[in-house]
Amino acid sequence: MSDVLLRLTGVSVRHEVYGEDGSMSHGPPRPQEVSAELRAGEVVLLLGPSGCGKSTLTLTTNGLIPQVVTSRMDGTVTVAGVDTTATTVPGLAADVAMVFQDPDAQIVTATLFDEVCFGPENLLLPVGEVLGRAEEALRRVGLWERRDDDPEHLSGGGRQRLAIACALALRTPVLVLDEPTANLDPAGVEEVYRTLREIAAERDRAVLLVEHNLDAAIDFVDRVIVLDAAGRVVLDGPARTTLIEHVDELVALGVWLPVATLAALRLRAAGIAVEPLPLTPRELAAVLDEHPTLPPPRARSAAESTPEPSIRVRNLTVHHGRHAVLHDVSLTVRAGEFVAVAGANGAGKTTLAQAIAGVAGARRGAVTVTGPAGFVFQNPEHQFLTNRVEDELAYGMRVLRLSPAEIGARVDDLLDRLGLRELRTVHPFLLSGGQKRRLSVGTALVTRPKVLVLDEPTFGQDRERAAELLDLLDALHRDGTTVVVVSHDMHLVAEYATRLLVLAEGRVIADGPPAEVYADAAVLAAAGLRPPPIAQAVRALTHHPEWHGLTRLADLPACETAR
Amino acid sequence: MSDSILSLRSYNPVVKVLAPVPAMIVAGLSRDLWTPAVFAVIGLVMLLIAGRPRARTLAWLLAGPPLLVALLTVSFGVWTDPALVDDTTAVLELGPFTLWSGALVTGLATGLRVAAVMLLALIAGLTTDGTDLVRSMIAHLRMPYRIGYAGFAAMRFVPRFRRDLEIIRLAHRVRGVDGGRGPVATLRRYSGYAVPLLAGAMRHGDRVSLAMEARGFGAHPTRTERRHVPLRARDAVLALWLVAVCFVPHLTGVL
Repeated sequence: MSDVLLRLTGVSVRHEVYGEDGSMSHGPPRPQEVSAELRAGEVVLLLGPSGCGKSTLTLTTNGLIPQVVTSRMDGTVTVAGVDTTATTVPGLAADVAMVFQDPDAQIVTATLFDEVCFGPENLLLPVGEVLGRAEEALRRVGLWERRDDDPEHLSGGGRQRLAIACALALRTPVLVLDEPTANLDPAGVEEVYRTLREIAAERDRAVLLVEHNLDAAIDFVDRVIVLDAAGRVVLDGPARTTLIEHVDELVALGVWLPVATLAALRLRAAGIAVEPLPLTPRELAAVLDEHPTLPPPRARSAAESTPEPSIRVRNLTVHHGRHAVLHDVSLTVRAGEFVAVAGANGAGKTTLAQAIAGVAGARRGAVTVTGPAGFVFQNPEHQFLTNRVEDELAYGMRVLRLSPAEIGARVDDLLDRLGLRELRTVHPFLLSGGQKRRLSVGTALVTRPKVLVLDEPTFGQDRERAAELLDLLDALHRDGTTVVVVSHDMHLVAEYATRLLVLAEGRVIADGPPAEVYADAAVLAAAGLRPPPIAQAVRALTHHPEWHGLTRLADLPACETAR
Repeated sequence: MSDSILSLRSYNPVVKVLAPVPAMIVAGLSRDLWTPAVFAVIGLVMLLIAGRPRARTLAWLLAGPPLLVALLTVSFGVWTDPALVDDTTAVLELGPFTLWSGALVTGLATGLRVAAVMLLALIAGLTTDGTDLVRSMIAHLRMPYRIGYAGFAAMRFVPRFRRDLEIIRLAHRVRGVDGGRGPVATLRRYSGYAVPLLAGAMRHGDRVSLAMEARGFGAHPTRTERRHVPLRARDAVLALWLVAVCFVPHLTGVL
């Protein structure tokens, strides 16, 4: 057995919390008494429900906690035998490299090459060594040809690959990645994982990965460590067997499983033997193909939209400066549809959404919407105007000069719906990420819009918070609201949307039910999209062509409805 | 990057920024016409010969200063208080308005002073790379590298802020914020943008600084500098030349 590179012993972290009177105390420990060892050549995935302290734990590995982030840490962390509190954070940079979630917040210099040199320069390495490491790292992530470009001109996936190159150039025995793909579109996720897979295959370092997108990560992870909601280690073992043998425990903990696994659980509940439990779409397909017969997929409930149009866009062209962002887009959305708008970065998705909601961009007469429309921006904080949650909800109604009694009633109703009743007097900026998101949706709902438009509502959020929000949207949709979401989360699109609109370079290149759009490989390639895992699995079935059209968990035969 | 001795780009950035300062002060404080004119011409000639401007910049260099001088001359000629200059020659009389030669001279001198200071500043401005300036300041002015690199990181914040502000303005408008027109309403509107803008900026700044420390920033008192910005004999010559031209006004006095 090789040496232990990273050792955590009884690590607990308490963040500082401030009371309303400004007094400081320490919150509950998240994570709590974590002990674990990472050895050379291991790729370890850290799992756990949201809020259990996964990201916090990654920050302890190079001393950012407790040295820079002022939180109270108990227990010890040693890297290559050195206690992280015994030296400075920069002093540990030769031992632990980190890749963070937000690619934009990791860039310091003006060219890719300078960026990769930044770390080795800090370590005071000789110039020849700096240049050699920079070239090697850039070549390994496939960015050597672009070394003189400004990082700004890379795609999100490209920038995150650059961040990985920067970490590699430090040649550390330990590499820690904290949700490296949470801010990326599907093409970017694939790019980053292709790179990570190659790095992991070299087995020359210990890798600790926090990732909620298990579908992407599962095929190259050796070991999983699972934390429970209180931040304690509940499982620690080989990835496959741990996930398969403890699947019920993981579901109970609220850990998001690979979609193929969720599908298999659903099929099992419906009485179809799925053995062994699959973790990837390919494995699911293989297991299903062993069955001589499969029950027919569930008939999709007919779309409940009415024939009357809710949104009508006629020949909409939008210019930003001289550059046309949308070219002659025409479409009609019927009342009660749940429309997803997808496409690569820069395809014009946000512009179209803003034009539909009347936020900006549309020429008079190009867009007609029946009834009021609400718009929810990508970052909830951008929309907040007041100092209390309840004032935030009341604001839009005060603008409309509704009576105080009416305002009070609607605010109460919304607080209940959004699950924010206990927090009505809190400052909106002090809410958690998921709560902020719900509040921002709430501010758009106060005027009782017939059409609700949301720009990337699940961007940068984990699956749990995303699911919470989507259930809220689904409820609105069932109540008859027309919902339009801009999103590249294909799982979301597949499960909830009744219609998928794909944009590429300012034009609509596909428009139809998600299942039909996913069947068109050319469209997906042009828009940088990937079919959701279920669609990938059923398309690989050789014995059951009647299942080829499935895209959603909800399409699978089941004895009970579960998502 | 050209290393020719005839290219201003090959000179040390700190020298290019600091050496013209005495000349700028002399030109800015001069009261005659000749001093700023001579400095403007010196600056322009240096830029034309050794600055190697691109076509577009060249056009601006040639057309900009004369236009500026002409504009200031005319506007001073029109707006200067006649009481100050009515002892000079009346150049033109148009109804109640008289154009005094003294006013035109004041305008011309002002225009030349502004043009001279600008052209001297452009010696560094048009021929220096910002990162090289910071590198040179760290190497030759002993500026702590933390400050220099904090500057780099801050420069990357600017476009991000601009984008954020644009989105926040839209977002607030969607919420129905409309304080009306006028400076007070505008001020109130902008103060509403400050909270989300600052919250976002602080969070971003925090993340950037965590990422920088994680990459070893600050591990040692110095860093490896891959690109050495030289300080050579030619820089001393440039500095001496730019200081020497400060004696031009005294020469014109002798002549």
